[in-house]
Parts: sequence; C-alpha cells; structure tokens
Amino acid sequence: MTRSTLAAAIEAVLFVAEKPVSRAELAKTVGVSQKIVSETLAELEEWYSGTGLRLQHEVEDYQIVTAPQTAQFVAAYLGADRLRLSPAALETLAVVAYRQPVTRAEVESIRGVNCDQTIYTLMSRRLIEELGRREAPGSPFEYGTTWEFLECFGLTSLDALPTALSPAGVRNDDAVVTE
Amino acid sequence: MTSVGPRPPDVSVAGFEGPLDLLLELVEEKKLDIFTVSLGELADDYLARVRAMAALPADEVSAFLYIASRLVLLKARSLLPSLAPPSELDSVDTEEELRLRLIEYATTKDRAAALGDRLRAGERAFHREGGTVELPPKGGNPDALAAAWLKVLALTRKSAEEVELPGERYSVDVRTAEIEALMAEQSSVTFATLLGDRPTLGYAIVTFIALLDLYRRLVVDIAQDELFGEIRIERKLARMEGVTE
Repeated sequence: MTRSTLAAAIEAVLFVAEKPVSRAELAKTVGVSQKIVSETLAELEEWYSGTGLRLQHEVEDYQIVTAPQTAQFVAAYLGADRLRLSPAALETLAVVAYRQPVTRAEVESIRGVNCDQTIYTLMSRRLIEELGRREAPGSPFEYGTTWEFLECFGLTSLDALPTALSPAGVRNDDAVVTE
Repeated sequence: MTSVGPRPPDVSVAGFEGPLDLLLELVEEKKLDIFTVSLGELADDYLARVRAMAALPADEVSAFLYIASRLVLLKARSLLPSLAPPSELDSVDTEEELRLRLIEYATTKDRAAALGDRLRAGERAFHREGGTVELPPKGGNPDALAAAWLKVLALTRKSAEEVELPGERYSVDVRTAEIEALMAEQSSVTFATLLGDRPTLGYAIVTFIALLDLYRRLVVDIAQDELFGEIRIERKLARMEGVTE
C-alpha cells in the first residue's frame, strides 16, 4: 500500500467510527505498524488544515471532528446549545486541565475554597472524569479532562492547551517555578 | 452552576470566589506587583473586607480566617524582625509560600478567563453522531437478486393469467393418509415433490401440517442440509411397518 492509499483507508475508517479509534486498532485494521499509522495520521492532520474537519486526538485515540471555525453553522444545523459555566466552575476546570491528574484536595489548595460543588458540576457535564485512585493516604480520586472537554473547547489535543489558552504576556507555569 | 446542588456559593455574591481571590483583588486594586508586594501590608485591608462581608458561609470562615491569620503574622514579622519563624514551620508559614499560592491562583484565574472566552466564542468541535446502524448480511450477490426477481415476475404472471377458482378445501387427515401411502412406496421424497408444481396456499399449509404430524408420530424423518435447501422427508422403517400392518 502506498502512503496515500493508506491515508485514505485510515481516513475512511475514522469517518465511519462513531467514537475515538486507538492507534493500535487502526494499525490492526489497515495492517501496518503503529509507527506508520502515526506518520499517516500526521499526514491526514496536515491535509485537514483549511478544511471543515480536524483530527482530534488524546494520548492514543483519534477521531475526525468538525473544525472550530465552523462551529456556529454546525451548531445551527444540530440545534446545539452553547455550554455555559460559572466563573467558579471555569477556575476548577482550569486547574484540572493544566494539573491533571489532580486530586480534589489539590484543586482546593490552589483555589483556596471548597470545590465539591464545581467538581460535581464538571463531572455531570462530562468535562472532567475520575481517572483512578492515587496511591496516597486516603486513596483520593484523581481527576482529568475528558474527550468532550477537548471537543467543547475546540482543542485538537491537550498539547494545544498552553498555546490556545495562555493569555499573552502574563504569568504562566514557568513564572511559578522560577519564582 | 448555582442551579445545581445544595450549597449556593455565597462567597461570590460579595464578588470573590474565596480568600485567595480576595487577596488577589487587593493586590490588583492597589496596582501592586504580585512578585514584590509585601503581603503583610495587606493584612488590614484584608480584615476590613472580611468584616464588611454580610454573610460568610460557615464552612468558608475558616479558609478566610486562615489567610487572615497568616497575613497578620507576616505583618507582625515585618514590624518585629526578631519574630523569626520557628524553623519547622518554615515551609508552610513563609511569605514566599503564600506568594507562590497567590501567583498560582492568579494563573488559574487567567486560564479560567481564557477558557471562558473560548466558550463564549463558541468555537468548538463536533463529532459524527449516529451513522451506520446495521450492516447488510455479507455475501450479497446481484445475480441472485436478479434471479429471485425473475421468479417473482414469473409467478405473478402465471397467476394473473389464471382464473381465480373458489377456495379449495383440504383435510389434514386425508393429506396425511396420502403422504403415508406415498411413503410406503418410496423411502424418500422431497418437500417440493409433495407440494407439486403450483400449490395453492391452502394445499401447502395442509401438507406442512400433515408432515409435522407424521414427524411427531415418528413416521417420517425430516432433513434439510443447508439454508433454503431441499427438504427431504424420509420413511422411518420400523414405524412404517407397524402402521401398515
């Protein structure tokens, strides 16, 4: 199989998939190594720039989604409501997004307030999820963002977080560390 | 978020999300540099603002008081340098530790604002919902479909040519006897043979019921080797002898 036939095959599989497909599954389906799948996915991602589609990925999973710039039209077609979150919920979400995996105590220590309610809200909106328990006293739950989070904020992957969301010219992680 | 859950966030009514938020607001109001401000200097303003709050939720009071007490301690230390912190408390009670928390909180707030902007801009992604519900069975063959269609056409043509007769009447008992007689002569017969060339619906049903009855009485065996294949009816020797005697 030449490269472009391969890209077409992977694109077709991702198109019919209704959920994220793992790199391993793609490799098994089209019969090439995972390394080649990765290269082909990068190729696909490049193809999509400037089109109405994007390749969203998290860790090993990939899915074709619509490009964020087209959101208003897709939302109009689907009749989708815009997500609304309180400032408190947004703060908690920011901590979870940048510090994941993170425990409730850690979120509360950063925000300085009780976060039961906001964590509950974010969980019920499927923006964050329990990743598992930490091996620490009390085995607290660790939280992380979900696939839906990436979709709701139009991020192709978690790698897109810092560049997409760092306000220009202000404090970031480095500031905290160097200080 | 205020619509869900038992505890409304009273704190934000006053304009703050919590003690760190209040402290940060003081820094920003006074246009101080978060990296160099002497936090102890903010102790009085902080206490004044906490006092001014009408209702503080019981479970938030301790958080506000904790920060207040640390600010007061920092102020006291700056006034009386001899009040050096006991070494074992160094890590939690220094101004630097509180400053780091404040900076981290400020970063969080900026990020939260950026997330909020992104939500308001509405530039989100959507994935495909639904899609292919059920795949058709494998091995579909256009020729088979065409052959089947021709058969249907032939049938309708034939029946259209024929005059409708009044409904015939068949008896299961009579038909059973007929089949038994036939089976006495030959050991095996196909279902298609029993039905004849162009069976009416009534004839087919009666034949089928008669066969089921014979099968139940262990007179015949019925076999079909493949799906939609020929159905073979075979005589069961021992019983047949018994019946014919």
